[in-house]
Amino acid sequence: MGGFFSSIFSSLFGTREMRILILGLDGAGKTTILYRLQVGEVVTTIPTIGFNVETVTYKNLKFQVWDLGGQTSIRPYWRCYYSNTDAVIYVVDSCDRDRIGISKSELVAMLEEEELRKAILVVFANKQDMEQAMTPSEMANSLGLPALKDRKWQIFKTSATKGTGLDEAMEWLVETLKSRQ
Amino acid sequence: MYTLLSGLYKYMFQKDEYCILILGLDNAGKTTFLEQSKTRFNKNYKGMSLSKITTTVGLNIGTVDVGKARLMFWDLGGQEELQSLWDKEAPQQGLPVRGCPACGSAPASAPAQYYAECHGVIYVIDSTDEERLSESKHAFEKMVTSEALDGVPILVLANKQDVEACLSIPDIKTAFSDCTSKIGRRDCLTQACSALTGKGVREGIEWMVKCVVRNLHRPPRQRDIT
Repeated sequence: MGGFFSSIFSSLFGTREMRILILGLDGAGKTTILYRLQVGEVVTTIPTIGFNVETVTYKNLKFQVWDLGGQTSIRPYWRCYYSNTDAVIYVVDSCDRDRIGISKSELVAMLEEEELRKAILVVFANKQDMEQAMTPSEMANSLGLPALKDRKWQIFKTSATKGTGLDEAMEWLVETLKSRQ
Repeated sequence: MYTLLSGLYKYMFQKDEYCILILGLDNAGKTTFLEQSKTRFNKNYKGMSLSKITTTVGLNIGTVDVGKARLMFWDLGGQEELQSLWDKEAPQQGLPVRGCPACGSAPASAPAQYYAECHGVIYVIDSTDEERLSESKHAFEKMVTSEALDGVPILVLANKQDVEACLSIPDIKTAFSDCTSKIGRRDCLTQACSALTGKGVREGIEWMVKCVVRNLHRPPRQRDIT
């Protein structure tokens, strides 16, 4: 009986914190996105060496969001944070065509990790406010996403500075993670 | 003795895996259909609320067990721009293949195998959208004539039949009549359905299972259970 009530209680109020990683190359806009989600405004950022972690509440779902530095030298440390991750937000600079190949190989290496086997992949095609930004299909092809067969993935066009696309993306993430619980 | 027992165990519990692509224009109801099938066939599955489903720009997956067969669904986004992802082997118009100067690889050259690897296709049509029916037919034509899909069974779902002013199955068949010759020798069924209410979903999936099981050209993937 007690178990019954506690299960009802937890289904109504209890929320396990969802663990989200924000990854991507340096300069993609990860930190800007994190603080846009948390405080709702654009903050001035400097290149992250290490990580930022914040708790974001969205539609009664608590997210523990980790924004890890994206510079080449510190990318190897991403894997230390992989365990128990529910979703990965992979941020890509839509104008940086030169480094999309590197972005792809980092993504591919990341998705091969056993610890991330169940994580949902959300790609933020960021900096869509700029001209000549890549379209979602261009981005998907460049990142080799059509090769993924057993993982749910979705691309969102975002602009962290303008704040567009983030709400839809979070809404989608909330619904998707809820149905997975 | 061990072999006998393990063979028996495998016979009892091993599932034949079949991959099913769900295609169709955007807003046809592909993701809703997928969620509805998952809810119908998996007892403990608490699906997404169907009203909250938004446009897919990517891939949704789902697994459904029907008897000894396990269907793995790939639900791809249907927007015009994303249709190039259905089958990447087809040459893409207007999208130059960009190599990567930094690492020398050509990112767009990775082979896509959705068509080559799938065992069946479910093509969803919005029966209430008469205006885009020809667009849907065009996408359908392009899909059935693809060589990588040769002989693969196709289930055409006339979705949204719960809406009163919708096109009937004969209407849709007439509109798609000039495709019939292109379908060729394969199983093809047009089924009325409503992904929202669930009408016709079970029938469609059961028909699909029957077809992929008897299609000898594409044997199932067998995953060893250890």
